Amino acid sequence: MKLLEITGLVARYGAADVLKGLDLSVDEGEIVTLLGANGAGKSTTLRAISGLVANVQGSVKLAGQDILGLKPEAIVRLGISHVPEGRRVFPGLTVRENIMLGASNRKGVGRRALESEVDDMLGHFPDLRRLEHALGWTLSGGQLQMVAVARGLMAKPRLLLLDEPSLGLAPLIVQQVFRIIADIRARGATVLLVEQNAHMALSVADRGYVLETGRLLVQGKPDELWNDPQVRAAYLGGHAA
Amino acid sequence: MSNFLQLLFNGLGIGAIYALVSLGFVLLIRAASVVNFGQGEFSMLGAYLLVVLFNILHVPYLLSMLISIVVMAGFGLVFAFTTYWPLRFRGGLPVIISTIGASIFLENLVLVLYGPSVVPVDGLFEDDGFQIGEVFLSTQYLAIIVIATLLVLLQYLIFEKTLLGKKMQATSQDKEMASLLGIPVVVMILITFAYSSAMGGLAGMLVAPILFVSVNMAGIIALKAFAANIIGGYGSIPGAILGGLALGVVETMGASYISVPYKDAFAFAMLLLFLMVRPQGLFGEKISEKA
Repeated sequence: MKLLEITGLVARYGAADVLKGLDLSVDEGEIVTLLGANGAGKSTTLRAISGLVANVQGSVKLAGQDILGLKPEAIVRLGISHVPEGRRVFPGLTVRENIMLGASNRKGVGRRALESEVDDMLGHFPDLRRLEHALGWTLSGGQLQMVAVARGLMAKPRLLLLDEPSLGLAPLIVQQVFRIIADIRARGATVLLVEQNAHMALSVADRGYVLETGRLLVQGKPDELWNDPQVRAAYLGGHAA
Repeated sequence: MSNFLQLLFNGLGIGAIYALVSLGFVLLIRAASVVNFGQGEFSMLGAYLLVVLFNILHVPYLLSMLISIVVMAGFGLVFAFTTYWPLRFRGGLPVIISTIGASIFLENLVLVLYGPSVVPVDGLFEDDGFQIGEVFLSTQYLAIIVIATLLVLLQYLIFEKTLLGKKMQATSQDKEMASLLGIPVVVMILITFAYSSAMGGLAGMLVAPILFVSVNMAGIIALKAFAANIIGGYGSIPGAILGGLALGVVETMGASYISVPYKDAFAFAMLLLFLMVRPQGLFGEKISEKA
């Protein structure tokens, strides 16, 4: 069953069309990755799905329900959790508080239940356990990414949007982040993953899409994409390369 | 020494007023990124409400205060919708100009409705105060210090111990991320406006028996609160409290030991000194270091 179905998505910032009619779908339980060079429109796709782009046309459906034009608060309540580029961990709140606020989309969860959920979540991220009372601004890039993912999972999302989780991280930390993504998948979650690191992304994904300047270039299984000359070209910066 | 203690007490009393108004100011900066030049008008309106309810309609004093606080909270929402809301996507400067416009409008509105006369108001208690040794403790100053302390404690508890407070902090630190988590950003901002206005109004009522009620009180209070905010550290909550208290003490001592007509000048000299020597204030924001 299609959990997310995007048809003819157009997104504009000012006069510039960043997405020029994108079709994309994610099935329940899948990890789908969105690849492409800088400026291809990957992050904009995620931002449009979660309601952060004002000027959008086309259709975005979550389990058949049209969500295009809803506010971000409403979309996350319907079950789409967005871990944005740059992690965006609240700098003046502790790790624990950041993670706890991830559940803000769910109504009627008592404080005690929330605290024990945070404890469970910290159990999945042993490195964060000892940092639970550290303020966001004191964390390293890898730690911030763990907090951002843990916070995103606290929403108990039907669909998790991950934007560039490996950006700016040391290779060892990147591997750790991708182990977490594989772990999320093992728990049956559905993930739409935007990545620059195509090799890592295709290693965890079921399917992939490659964007080029706001349009779909090619889609397919990881091994098909990996051997596609167009994909390799796109990664080297489009036809100019 | 007794003179010093007396001045310290009075200075802390008036400083607590500056601290309260400055707190309201800081909360709006933090939650909505709004620099509100109408903050002093909140105090002025609160004081005039007290005058209308108590002096004219003879509603009991505490009830008058309570009604005024509730009305001021509602007024904060009106202020948010008229002054901030239409300009919320236009950046900081248009909103600042809009709050300046609102403050001019409110002062003139009161001038038209009530006239320019300075109105005296009774204090909270019938007794003016009592003597301990050679220090005279005014009941009004005592009430100001106690109420301000309680409000600061309450605010600390709300911000640091409740989920609502954490959501308000998250909103102030990154509105877009807060909305992605499902935090109702608009509600958080409206709560801040209502609280800021109610607290400003209360400060105006508390200081009314000391400064008397006039249209001009708004400007004086707002300037001092703004100075307190700079001295304490722009946008810092502990800074607003400490900055306000320090300002109150310095201007009271300066007036007594050096020159009464220069009372306000001491406050602003302190502001200038800080801008030259320590522009980040007493508590430079640690968040801004990273950003």
